Amino acid sequence: MNLNTQFVFESKLKRNLIIGMIVGALCLAWSAIGDDAFYTRFWTNYLHNAVFFTGIAFTAMFFLSGQITAFAGWMVVIKRLWEAMSQFMLVGIVLLLVVVIGVWGHLHHLYHWNTPGITDPSSSIYDKVIAGKAGFLNPVFFTIGTVGFLAIWYFWAYKLRQNSLAQDAHETPSFDYYKRERKWAASFLPLGGFLSTVFLWQLIMSIDTHWYSTMFAWYSTISLFLGGLALFIVLILYLQSKGYLEYVTREHLHDLGKYLFGISVFWTYLWFDQFMLIWYGNIGEETIYFRERMDNYPILFWGNLVLNFVVPFFVLMRNDTKRKVGTLFFAALLVFLGHWLDFFYMIKPGARIAAIEAMELSEGGHHSSLPSNAKDLSQTAPNVGEMPRALAGISAAKAPEQSEQGSEAHPQTMEKMPATGSSSPEHQEASQDNSVHTEHASAAGEHGHHEEAGRGFQLGYSLPGFQEIGVLIGFLSLFLFFFFRQLERAPLLPLRDPFLEESLHHTTGVYIDGEDSHH
Amino acid sequence: MSAESKKVLYGLYNDEEELKSAVKTARQRHLDIMDVFTPFPVHGLDPILGLKESRLHILGFIYGAIGALFGFLFMSWALAKDWPILFGGKPYWPVPSFIPITFEMTVLFSAWGMTLTFYTICGMWPGVKAKILDNRISDDKFCIAFDVTEAGQREVSDFKEFFHRTGAAEVHEKAL
Repeated sequence: MNLNTQFVFESKLKRNLIIGMIVGALCLAWSAIGDDAFYTRFWTNYLHNAVFFTGIAFTAMFFLSGQITAFAGWMVVIKRLWEAMSQFMLVGIVLLLVVVIGVWGHLHHLYHWNTPGITDPSSSIYDKVIAGKAGFLNPVFFTIGTVGFLAIWYFWAYKLRQNSLAQDAHETPSFDYYKRERKWAASFLPLGGFLSTVFLWQLIMSIDTHWYSTMFAWYSTISLFLGGLALFIVLILYLQSKGYLEYVTREHLHDLGKYLFGISVFWTYLWFDQFMLIWYGNIGEETIYFRERMDNYPILFWGNLVLNFVVPFFVLMRNDTKRKVGTLFFAALLVFLGHWLDFFYMIKPGARIAAIEAMELSEGGHHSSLPSNAKDLSQTAPNVGEMPRALAGISAAKAPEQSEQGSEAHPQTMEKMPATGSSSPEHQEASQDNSVHTEHASAAGEHGHHEEAGRGFQLGYSLPGFQEIGVLIGFLSLFLFFFFRQLERAPLLPLRDPFLEESLHHTTGVYIDGEDSHH
Repeated sequence: MSAESKKVLYGLYNDEEELKSAVKTARQRHLDIMDVFTPFPVHGLDPILGLKESRLHILGFIYGAIGALFGFLFMSWALAKDWPILFGGKPYWPVPSFIPITFEMTVLFSAWGMTLTFYTICGMWPGVKAKILDNRISDDKFCIAFDVTEAGQREVSDFKEFFHRTGAAEVHEKAL
């Protein structure tokens, strides 16, 4: 067995990844064509992928730190891959800096709290709920909570990596580097654990500005974690198919498969918990989140559960499926796509509603100008075309009482969620019922009616279209390009790691009938 | 019972590597091992012994599926059909609130089912007297046991010779 393997980033692979990046850039630009006035589709695509891949880098670092802190020896043979993935946070800083600049310059309307004047009591679009959150949801804190925290994490990841590389040059296996590595790893755990909650609240949960969930940070971090783990498994299998990592045995894959299986169940637990708490509490401000997603995004809502729970649960339940390349690859690939879709599902509906509401507000009192059966946002483009991108200049045009209704519209238009999926058709019938509409109209100045009408199926929001898939390919290529560059810079195996021998002889103690003998 | 009159010849080894190579030798020579006892699970022993993969987990899945169905259907019948009660403004058939209990029933059924099945297969029932070959097999000795109830003189000497050649520290005979 050749232990001194050096990864070679072949020019053919490099070329393919660069083509992928170009495809991604083109698709990102394409998604801005025919977009609404806020370029919501463009910005959500960008945010979605930037957060997802940066988050994967973060969870790679977090997982590695957890393993090192727990004296884990089994993973030394695959440690370099995690290290390489974690370095992507550097690119993540640049990617998210664009979002931060967008917040400061009001270039996008991803975050409703960022609307100028929304926290000003004298303004016509004053929103009391958002004003109450302004201490947390403001551009300064947003900058610290996203790019700032990422910079802290990257510093730790950089130090851990440097320490690991320095160990390679050391003459004999020594615990000096290992002890230093443990210090960086152990101190990263609280930093990553606590700061990641704020990171995800700021970037994703604040899209649904009025809504909050105490389960959200757990849920989204675990989703990132699984996305990262699945990608990690896929990358190991890819590298093995290229002749690298021959010392990574079935035993290592089995343990990774166990992580993928177990944490997928944990993800489902959190998914259900978040739903269950809100369903049982039945508070309108909270149920609106699921009401919207179950009614208008049923494929995403249930597909999410199928891809991220049913597939890994039933495919990876048996021992032997975790040890066979085919089934493990299949499950990991689906889970990776599933968690990418999970973030799609977290980001798109909220951003779309925020954009629709902002456009309605910016039209002043002319609510009726929106086609009531508008399924496609672009139908409203002629109305919206001359509108300023930021909402700076519109507040004066609005009558006070209307704006008050506008800000109060949320609680009134929120209907209680149906307790089961079976009663959602009832709800849809009810919303088509004229009497309900009149109630809405009198209560919220027709606001609720249009909100609902404008939120039907639309490609890019209800389901990923070509552009979304293209952008995924682009960001994935960027991630992999950076990953392979990092991998190239150091031997694939940390030969001086004190746990190397343990890792090379790792066994799970599982014996499967008919499996040929171990390496 | 016939098990009570069983005669066992066993050898004790000091090291699990010695045990593993001894088991390999025994298999090569087609000596019929009754059982092997170790103070801790020895990785890689199962394939050497030629043991089949346990099917207990398949039963575990079936028990779990029965538990899930039972829990869910019972709650549905009790709360939605037999005696409908309104809880907290929820419908009579509040599926999400059944899920935690369904989950618990799955775990309960599969855990109890597997435990009881395991005990049944191993003949472990309340009041059964433990048949212990040697107290040290749960401490620091590794044991290979042969059933010599019906073995002739020649077979027994074969076994003894095997123990001697594979480095057993002690060889004893015991009636169970």
